[in-house]
Amino acid sequence: IFSFSSQKSHHFSRLSAMSVYKLFYFDIRGRGEVVRQTLALAGIPFEDIRLPRPADGPQWAEFKSKTPFGQMPVLEVDGKQIPQAFAISRFIASQHGLAGATAFEAAWVDAIADQWKDFHTEFSKFLFVKLGFREGNEKLLKAEHGIPSLDNFFPLIEKQLKETGSGFLVGDSVTWVDLLIAEAVQVISTAEPDFLDAFPEVLKHEQKIHAIPLIKKWIENRPEQRR
Amino acid sequence: FRACSMSRVFFYFFEILKYILPETMPSYKLTYFDTQGFAEVSRQLFALSDTPFEDNRLPREEWPEYQKCTPFGKMPVLEVDGQKLPQSFAIARFLARKFGFAGKTEWEQAWVDALGDQFKDYLNAFLPFFRVAFGTATGDLEAMKKSDGEPIRDNFFGILEKQAKDNGSTGFLVGSSLTWIDLIVADHMGVVEYHLPHFLDGFPEVQRVRRNVIETPKIKEWLEKRPERPY
Repeated sequence: IFSFSSQKSHHFSRLSAMSVYKLFYFDIRGRGEVVRQTLALAGIPFEDIRLPRPADGPQWAEFKSKTPFGQMPVLEVDGKQIPQAFAISRFIASQHGLAGATAFEAAWVDAIADQWKDFHTEFSKFLFVKLGFREGNEKLLKAEHGIPSLDNFFPLIEKQLKETGSGFLVGDSVTWVDLLIAEAVQVISTAEPDFLDAFPEVLKHEQKIHAIPLIKKWIENRPEQRR
Repeated sequence: FRACSMSRVFFYFFEILKYILPETMPSYKLTYFDTQGFAEVSRQLFALSDTPFEDNRLPREEWPEYQKCTPFGKMPVLEVDGQKLPQSFAIARFLARKFGFAGKTEWEQAWVDALGDQFKDYLNAFLPFFRVAFGTATGDLEAMKKSDGEPIRDNFFGILEKQAKDNGSTGFLVGSSLTWIDLIVADHMGVVEYHLPHFLDGFPEVQRVRRNVIETPKIKEWLEKRPERPY
């Protein structure tokens, strides 16, 4: 009924005991990327369904009413839907040892993710103008929203990395919030190359996470990389 | 300085205590302003589970000093045997999972989380109008109600209404027992209706969830004894 451009990884036959995963999002990294990378790191094959932007086709307008909240990303597992990028990422991560080694560590993973969200709400007022998604006074927004939010958030991440000493944000193994933060750092560094120079641990962390073999492979093969 | 170093003392005290008495229940201290706000869901989780906790309501003038000792410069902060945890939803989910109010399966837990995050998105959009209704911001209340308040309300509460109905009109948003999203929604509705009577009349299934929460004996008891604050 819909024809989306889809990046099919594997197909599983109906006889397989494994679940069938489909991720629906736009054809951008955005809020979907942490979910895609969590699935990739968990080693879960999934159909990476990318809908055209509303300006480029009717698919989203048609699909929207079939989503739980009228938003994407949405993960379908054997036809059942779950919305909200963090809920999806945590759901996958929890089942594959990527959500923290203890309940308290899992809570710290959640806390850092929510703190990032607060940062991003503020920072995106500048970033989306910088990236050309919105109109606005880039210089003014950078001074009023970009720099202050950056200076509130990244010292916390820098400090957290120094405290764990493991190279990971929580405990001594990778969690889904490492993927979230490394992706954000990559986006910010691409948009403004020297913006994070005051945070050497943060920059090292991004390198380390993106060198993890399954993540490195995902990044090399994702559509954005091949454009 | 004093607040930070006292936490260290408690932390080491409890490390030693845990070594001597391995079955000791963890000690909990929740620090927030003297309002419901983002701490109320966690206070209710303690009440629901009959878990003692220190309900540390910080006077406004002590906040600048205490802020220096918080992990992220914000409250609430939960201390578990002296170890700190920030961010209200991380705290609520941690406590809910421990006490059995997070959803009974991984799938239910994911749905509780999704509704929680949707609530947060809704609140961010709703607050500019809501602050005018509180009286903590100036604006044309009636105009903002039409342009912002009502459409934002209808979008989110429409989602909740459908969710409650699809879940069998049981009085729970997810599954067949209370979860922390039920608590958040019920508390929020109380705050909204206090300032905007009848604003949420159009959502009977969600009202059913709210009644279910406030009539749960341990919540009822908590609501009767907690300090009443406007939000």
